[in-house]
Amino acid sequence: MTDHTPDDWYEELMDAHRGLSDAQSQRLDAALVLLLANQIADPRALRGCLQAASAAVLRQERQ
Amino acid sequence: MQVSFSNGRYTLPEYPFRVPPELSGPQRAHPVVIVGAGLAGLTAACALAQLGVPAVVLDEDNTVGVRGLSSRGVCYARKSLEIFDRLGIYRRMLGKGVRWSVGRTFDGDEQIYEFDLASDSNASRQPPFINLQQFYVEAFLIQRATELGSVDFRWCSKVVKGEPGASCVKLSIETPAGAYSLLADWVIDCSGVGRVLAEALCIGRLGTRSDDRWCIADVLFDEDLPVERHTWVSAKFNDGRAVWRHALADKVWRLDYQLDPNATAGDAAHEDAIRERLRCQFGRDVACRIVWTGAWSYRSECLKNFRQGRVLFAGDCAHTMSPFGGRGGNSGIQDADNLAWKLAWVIAGKADASLLDTYSEERRTAALENIRIAERTGRFLRPENAAQRIYRDATLALARHHPFARSLVNTGRMSQPSTYRDSRLNVGRGGGRSIPNLPLTLPDGREGDVVQLMKWAQGDLVVLVDAESADLIALEARFPVRIVASARLGSARAALAANCGWQAGHLIILRPDLYCAGTFECGDVAELEHALRSLTCT
Repeated sequence: MTDHTPDDWYEELMDAHRGLSDAQSQRLDAALVLLLANQIADPRALRGCLQAASAAVLRQERQ
Repeated sequence: MQVSFSNGRYTLPEYPFRVPPELSGPQRAHPVVIVGAGLAGLTAACALAQLGVPAVVLDEDNTVGVRGLSSRGVCYARKSLEIFDRLGIYRRMLGKGVRWSVGRTFDGDEQIYEFDLASDSNASRQPPFINLQQFYVEAFLIQRATELGSVDFRWCSKVVKGEPGASCVKLSIETPAGAYSLLADWVIDCSGVGRVLAEALCIGRLGTRSDDRWCIADVLFDEDLPVERHTWVSAKFNDGRAVWRHALADKVWRLDYQLDPNATAGDAAHEDAIRERLRCQFGRDVACRIVWTGAWSYRSECLKNFRQGRVLFAGDCAHTMSPFGGRGGNSGIQDADNLAWKLAWVIAGKADASLLDTYSEERRTAALENIRIAERTGRFLRPENAAQRIYRDATLALARHHPFARSLVNTGRMSQPSTYRDSRLNVGRGGGRSIPNLPLTLPDGREGDVVQLMKWAQGDLVVLVDAESADLIALEARFPVRIVASARLGSARAALAANCGWQAGHLIILRPDLYCAGTFECGDVAELEHALRSLTCT
């Protein structure tokens, strides 16, 4: 019996992108974002994730 | 004078030009002059006439419609229909127009989304939508204004200048018989995108423009199609671009085809191009007559203020947006209805002129909301950048198997009445919420509805209370208000309670434009008096 770890999910996500072109990866991510947003459903949580994501990666690029 | 239709051809009425009295010498100032006999201007004229306020209506041409026989604004929303019911043209709309509530959205040949507006249990007397060519609606409004008697229509009259003064506005007008000046205590500018006065008064506006272009085709054909709104995000018969289809009166169908931005508008809107698309769509030649065709584009604009002293702005003159969802014409009609009762109060001395600022505040709120919602559709149909395109395609791909994604497919969010969330006229809970035209028993015991209740009130507020005490009735002498015992309401009580949070032991204040001003506990007459002072800005 194995306990499912965050690393396991991370690997599944990477496996899903393996062999895809950049365009295909973008399409996959977009569909995934929409599905996950629907699962989470709570607008405040969603906004929090969006702000956190922007802050993390966009601030990084500006440095 | 009517619109007539025979042998597949429309003939629009021509209204008579009369030499204006001002050409023989100066006249007194008119209480209200309306510039533009379109949907907003005509609704304002009828609403004011019904409230006993005479108006002069100036229009550049002498007929209905804006660009000849174009069907133009065709989807009349429930709120607009409720207004038309109060003004007295709803029966005409029902007789001539086409009711619908089901909409379907296709991607290619596959249906990916559907809705039924009738399933939204609203219990209004009016249906979600009636489709009708704009020139019919305008002709009905002109007919009704003429019946009401106090509207002075001046055709072939072009306003070239407006000079606002302290006590009145001077309009310079050109006519076939010569130029003259007209004085008005109040001007309602409903001149559409022409905006003569707004430019002159230097009222700023916010705006954006899209390169999205479409063409209208009004086509008469006898195909047996369901009376539903059909939209295609991507239609094979339009080179993978979007298409709308609506039923109109007289077996005319309104088609809107999204154009290739690089195509010449003239060619793409040409009758041959339309016939070719129809041939593609039906797989064969369809016997049809093309009533009108033409290209259009859109921009979003909104004046920073809908009031400048004695000049008020309504309809496209005040705000424009893309037509997705039918929010343009409907918001113009609703602007006029929001304004009319307030202006009538001010003219009658029942309210301070600052009440008119609430017109601008409330209807600007509505305009910005409509623009925002219509822009979302614009972006879905014509993505502005790679991210929008990728997400739109993902939404379409998911819609095939996932119900949640279907409602994200955005080919137009149909017009809904706005809630005036931050209005100064909200005097209690539920304030600023639109009230549907619910059936109820009228004060005289007849079966009626909210529209008829407000018509009975003749432009006054209606306050529904538990008990009509003498103290409350005394307020009727001092404020434009009618006190009505709510026990008479019957089943509407529960519906209003659900709509506006109206609790037992509370009173509710209804506005002439079928909006709730607020509900609060019935206890203290002073509290109601305070609310009435807020509503009259006194």
